[in-house]
Amino acid sequence: MSDGEQTFEELRHELEEIVGKLERGDVAVDEAIQLWQRGEELHRRCAVLLEAAEGRIEELAAGTDDKDAPGL
Amino acid sequence: MKVEATYHGDRKVFSVSAFNEGIGIYLRKLPVLWVEGEVTELSRNDAWAFVFFTLKDPESGACLKATMPRRRFDALELELAEGERVLVEGKAEIYAAKGELTFRAVAIERIGLGDHLAAIERLKRVLAAEGLFAAERKRPLPRFPRAVGVVTGADAAARGDVVTGIRSRYPAAHIVVVETRVQGVGAGPRIAAALGRVAAHPAVDVVIVARGGGSFDDLLPFSDETVVRAFAACPVPVVSAVGHEQDTPLCDLAADVRASTPTAAARLVVPDLVELKAGLARLRELLDGSARRVLTHDRERLDRSRDRLRSAPLLFLERRRVALDHAAARLQALSPRATLTRGYAVVRSNGIALREAAATAPGSRLEIELAAGGLTATVAEVLP
Repeated sequence: MSDGEQTFEELRHELEEIVGKLERGDVAVDEAIQLWQRGEELHRRCAVLLEAAEGRIEELAAGTDDKDAPGL
Repeated sequence: MKVEATYHGDRKVFSVSAFNEGIGIYLRKLPVLWVEGEVTELSRNDAWAFVFFTLKDPESGACLKATMPRRRFDALELELAEGERVLVEGKAEIYAAKGELTFRAVAIERIGLGDHLAAIERLKRVLAAEGLFAAERKRPLPRFPRAVGVVTGADAAARGDVVTGIRSRYPAAHIVVVETRVQGVGAGPRIAAALGRVAAHPAVDVVIVARGGGSFDDLLPFSDETVVRAFAACPVPVVSAVGHEQDTPLCDLAADVRASTPTAAARLVVPDLVELKAGLARLRELLDGSARRVLTHDRERLDRSRDRLRSAPLLFLERRRVALDHAAARLQALSPRATLTRGYAVVRSNGIALREAAATAPGSRLEIELAAGGLTATVAEVLP
């Protein structure tokens, strides 16, 4: 999966897994550094998603058979 | 029914009108009774003696043509609208000219509260037996919906509560709203259609159906079979926020989650941004902390190794030094000087230590070494 398509939930889940792995401590230094870098990247993406997304309201017409639908 | 069965003789032949008349005689023996249904195809004309309408069974769609004398109908002052649920008193009749069965009405009543309740109870039992309300059908709500669908009436209150509730918790929420008629005649199928519509939106992961408080009649459409079935059949989880706490329209039972108010529903469907940020910050602290611990732990291990590595040569030298001291001591012990201190002397002749007297002759010059100092002597006599 390309990172760009990951949702906030997926990114955060991966971050949680990385933290879990590091907390167990049974990783070599090289791997720990790589995990940490990946974790920082995930954190950054999560924060961007939380900040950048802009809310919007979309209006749909009711059923096609509903001639009384407002907004039509 | 019994009517046809009795008069289908295989030998006797009847004219159509005689047959219809015979049926009519038979039908007149049937008692006056009440029929419940929805009024459709109502036609009333001042020029006609009769008012015509069709009674329809909303569940099965079965129909029954009915007539009522116009004066009688007008006297009731019902102002009936299409789709209204009524109880009609009357009896079966055949319209001989066309051979059509009609229901000759003598009284029409709008369905009362008790009848509605009984009808809802009946429907509830049927749907419960089908398993529409089963706990195992309930789906969990998504934690991070891509979009939240909202079905509301055109009235601002419920819609406003839901939208405000969602935005205050999660400003970035994508909300898809469908407004529809939520009360009155025909509202049920419209609500069902609106729910289907919003649930079909590709980004919608959860739907809130919101309706503010209202009278029992106002909330009736939410106990409509089409609505309840639409809730149960919805491809994404549905949160029901209809009426107040004490109201329990049947749609509540078919919904995945029931919320007491539209605002409560909003809280259920989107995460709280403040909590999300706090959670993310916590995760980052844990990330940094745990990574640092791994590195620190490793460095400590490294330091310990280095210390041991560094101390190794010193230890080696120390051991050597101790061994050397031992050797020196032993060397010391073997030194003749130590022997001299005990009173012995070394006697040399021409620099060579003498071991036997025969190596000298009278008159030889000897050097004698003592523990402290030395002296020379001349041999007076050699003894064997």
